[in-house]
Amino acid sequence: MKAQIQSIKQAALAAVEAASTTQELGEVRVRFLGKSGEMTSLMKGLGALSKEERPEMGKVMNEARTEIESALEKKIAEVNAREKAERLAAEAVDVTLPGKKPARGTLHPITRVREDIVKVFLGMGFEVAEGPEIESDLYNFQLLNVPKDHPARDMQDTFYVNDSYVLRTHTSPMQARMMTTRKPPIRVVIPGRVYRSDDDASHSPIFHQIEGLAIDKHITLGDLEGCLTAFAQQMFSRDTQIRLRPSYFPFTEPSVEVDVTCAICGGKGCRVCKGTGWVEILGAGVVNPTVLDMCGIDSKVYGGFAFGLGLERIAMIKYGIPNIKLFYENDVRFLRQFNGEVEK
Amino acid sequence: MLAPISWLKDYVDINVSPEKLAEKLVAIGFEVEGIEYQAKKASLVKTCKLVSVEKHPAADRLRVAQTDIGGKVIQVVTNVPVEGGEYTAVALDGAVLADGHEIKRGELRGVLSEGMLCGPEEIGMSASDIDGQKEGDILRFPEGTELGQDAATALGFDDVILDVSVTANRPDCNSIYKLAKEVAVALDTTCREPEIKYTVTDADVNDIVSVRVENSKLCPRYMAAAVKNVKIFPSPEKMRMRLRAVGIRPINNIVDITNYVLTEIGQPMHAFDLRYLSGGKIVVRNAREGEHIVTLDGKDNVMTSSMLAICDAEKPVAVAGVMGGEHSGIQPDTSTIIFESAKFARDSIRRTSRALNLRSDSSARYEKGIDFASQEYGLKRALTLIAETGSGEIASGFVDVKVEHDEIRDVEFTTAEISRILGCAVPERRLISILLKLGIPVTKKEGKTLVAHVPDARSDIDGVNDIAEEFIRVYGYSHIKPTLFAHSVLTRGGVPADIAFRNKVKEELAALGLNECITYSFTSPSFADKLRIPADSPWRRWVELVNPLGEALSVMRTVLTHSMLEVLCFNASHFNKSAALFEIAKTYHPHSLPLAELPEEREKLVIGMYGGDADYFAAKGVLEGLFDALHVRGEFKASDLPFLHPGRGADVSVNGKVIGYVGEIHPDVAEEYDADVRLYAAELDLRTLFEECKGGATFREFSKYPPVERDLAVVVAESVTAGDMIRSVENAGARSLLSAEVFDVYRGAQVGEGLKSVAMRFSFSSTEHTLTEEEIAGEMKLILSALETAFDAKIRA
Repeated sequence: MKAQIQSIKQAALAAVEAASTTQELGEVRVRFLGKSGEMTSLMKGLGALSKEERPEMGKVMNEARTEIESALEKKIAEVNAREKAERLAAEAVDVTLPGKKPARGTLHPITRVREDIVKVFLGMGFEVAEGPEIESDLYNFQLLNVPKDHPARDMQDTFYVNDSYVLRTHTSPMQARMMTTRKPPIRVVIPGRVYRSDDDASHSPIFHQIEGLAIDKHITLGDLEGCLTAFAQQMFSRDTQIRLRPSYFPFTEPSVEVDVTCAICGGKGCRVCKGTGWVEILGAGVVNPTVLDMCGIDSKVYGGFAFGLGLERIAMIKYGIPNIKLFYENDVRFLRQFNGEVEK
Repeated sequence: MLAPISWLKDYVDINVSPEKLAEKLVAIGFEVEGIEYQAKKASLVKTCKLVSVEKHPAADRLRVAQTDIGGKVIQVVTNVPVEGGEYTAVALDGAVLADGHEIKRGELRGVLSEGMLCGPEEIGMSASDIDGQKEGDILRFPEGTELGQDAATALGFDDVILDVSVTANRPDCNSIYKLAKEVAVALDTTCREPEIKYTVTDADVNDIVSVRVENSKLCPRYMAAAVKNVKIFPSPEKMRMRLRAVGIRPINNIVDITNYVLTEIGQPMHAFDLRYLSGGKIVVRNAREGEHIVTLDGKDNVMTSSMLAICDAEKPVAVAGVMGGEHSGIQPDTSTIIFESAKFARDSIRRTSRALNLRSDSSARYEKGIDFASQEYGLKRALTLIAETGSGEIASGFVDVKVEHDEIRDVEFTTAEISRILGCAVPERRLISILLKLGIPVTKKEGKTLVAHVPDARSDIDGVNDIAEEFIRVYGYSHIKPTLFAHSVLTRGGVPADIAFRNKVKEELAALGLNECITYSFTSPSFADKLRIPADSPWRRWVELVNPLGEALSVMRTVLTHSMLEVLCFNASHFNKSAALFEIAKTYHPHSLPLAELPEEREKLVIGMYGGDADYFAAKGVLEGLFDALHVRGEFKASDLPFLHPGRGADVSVNGKVIGYVGEIHPDVAEEYDADVRLYAAELDLRTLFEECKGGATFREFSKYPPVERDLAVVVAESVTAGDMIRSVENAGARSLLSAEVFDVYRGAQVGEGLKSVAMRFSFSSTEHTLTEEEIAGEMKLILSALETAFDAKIRA
């Protein structure tokens, strides 16, 4: 019987050795260790042995069984590992194939710039307001110190609806609307569409501005410079500097043009800034006391500053957009480029 | 304003480069938009002497000239019949002429030519600029001219011209002299006065002409002087060159003098031929309604009674300040002239010039406004030039009809006030010296009050802020240091809810894969026909512009869809296989026409798509995605809008209010837009959507027990919509119903004619326990019964 055990054991170990798949190993287990397997059958024969022989044979048989089982386990582990490795190998993909991107939309660069700018001024306590695009002559011009037939009307080519109504030529009429309806302190930025009868390579008859207005008891030109410096550094870079130059707007006095150091060359002089190191970005000034008085705010007590800037111009500088027409063609190859940026 | 530096130098010493001067002018408020170098209009054109000239061996009309260009002799082939010994100008190899043409050495009929002989046009001049220069001839220089020098420089054509942008508050600086004063301030030096020097004859101007001003409001001052025995000839070369440099064509000595004074002093002048002033009278009066005048340009104008006319005893001889009449011009045989030097109200000139569509250098100048002192100064300057050029005999005296006016305006201020405006320290002595330099003397009053005595010419200065500006533009803005509301209170700031809502909608639509676009607010009135808008629709009531850039941009849109369709088609025809876009913008709706109050401006959202996966359900899905984000529920009902596909369009409503549509654009309409793809669009009223939004999310408990799903297929009539069925299921009273959706619609023979089978999937769940079979069966019974009642639905066998 011992020899029989040995022989079955040898056969089983050989079968384990020969098996190479999980399935074959399962068959080996059934054949030798299953309910009617060879080793199990042999165990059933133990009862026929003498009382003296039984323990020894039982021990031998158990040892053989354990040996087979352990060989089997070992082999199963091996095969499992190999099969898993094969499966994983078969599942390999070309990791350079394109990913499954969800469709991603974009906001128009004008919207992006608008919100970037608004954010800067919200941080400085400004509120946001908007106003009508079809505007009365009164608000668009007269309350801003531009009477009818005044030469300053030539500064802007106006679209007229009739003698009393125009398409607003700037966001400035909202200055008058704020001043006639609010009590100081006022701090507001007013983004919106504006219209000028001007259509050439560098002008669009529709464009966007943001107006800023701050009215309080004691506001200085220095505050204007501080505010606009904060704005320019947020929009362009931390190192950006601004420069005020004298200019003229009927509704501010003194009036200034504001230049920023060229974002392209950092102020050294390049093609974009025409070698000057400065790029003009907006007009501003101290609110003209005449305007305050016309709008019902006592200019003896209150003063303030106002500024207005073109969003297209800022976007063109910020994104390097060469042509204002691109904003209004709405070619998706243009629009898809502006999907936000990481602030640094 | 074009300002030749040589002309500025008549009054102020300029010892810096034109670029530096430009920089200094910008710093005090005069933007310089360009610097033109006359001598650089052409390059490498040199004076030369033709040493010897021979006939070309192979061409009768060509000559070969050995040309001395100063120390070197080159060979030039020319078709000009030149002779040896003549002095002229030659463009050398590599020269670029004023018209951009480049000169290269080369062979002409087999003979080497190393240059080209030049006329005035080749260096950017005109024959009439140069005394003795014949039209069509090459340049000529006198014997002994230094050879090899720049031809333009040799002719004195070497001015540098600044293009200065003068702001509307400084009309006085639209003149060389006043600009020179600013240059003097910029360079911290002094300015000289233009010369006034002439002698008069015994004749008295008052015996020659009389002036009556009937409307002194429109003509506060009218001055006249007379010149007898006038000789008409071309004005001196220097005057001609200067006029041309500022863009004025020289005509004759008298006309040129008026233009010269206009440019130099800023005073428009007019010269009348006395022969055409009937009765020797000048009457300044309002035109009679319908009165005609034919102006110098040959145009017949009909004037109105609000316009000012210069008349003689009988008729208008000029539109005041705008243009003279046809006979008022100077003729070769003119013998006595009357110079007009007047001040007209700028708004009147502006209105008249626009109404008659007549423009002139004078009207442009008058519109900007001129001061009281200029009339006399201009007149004296003109007479000085008459004397200087020997153009005639000057009668003594002036006619001067004027209203009373203050020559000096006092403005009181303190340095503290200025400092408060600027936010920087204001040193009093510096302030006073700067103002004095600007021609504004300052005196001290009691206490700290200062008084600025502002001359009439500075009409822009009438308050402390103006004084602050005059000071700081010279003192320098760099003295102002940035502060952040150093003296004022905190304010709260913030974004109004409707603007925040719009921003959210934009972000959600971008998150749903759409690209934002921005289109023009005005469009062609043809949009209404293209979209087949009915004749009585409010969408056809629009605000129209009186001066549009063209009919295609002439009306304010009442709907955004049209613009969106144009953008979709633009993209489709520009290599873009698909696009999904949105825009949020206003539409404009007049309360009454013609416009007498502000129109309603309504904010709308339009979406549009084509190509890729675009179809009705993709467009609808965008709206559903948006509605989910806004916590509202949209309802969709078949629409009969005329521009939609009759079977693929829905009216969209929220809380029972119709807010817009979604659908496929009718193929016939798409064809109108030249679309070769199917177009899908939706337009919603954003304002109403905002009002119907109730805010954000509130937590709802979800079950920890597994949900149970059940499918049900029922047969209903073709006309029953899935939307109505789902709504019926939701209202059936099945309390544990979590969701219901249609997942298949089947039509076929087994279902029957006019019927369809709708397969629905329901999900049930309870937060308290795992639902039992009995409970679910009960719920399904409720659902089925609701469907049976509402739609006569039958369970599909």
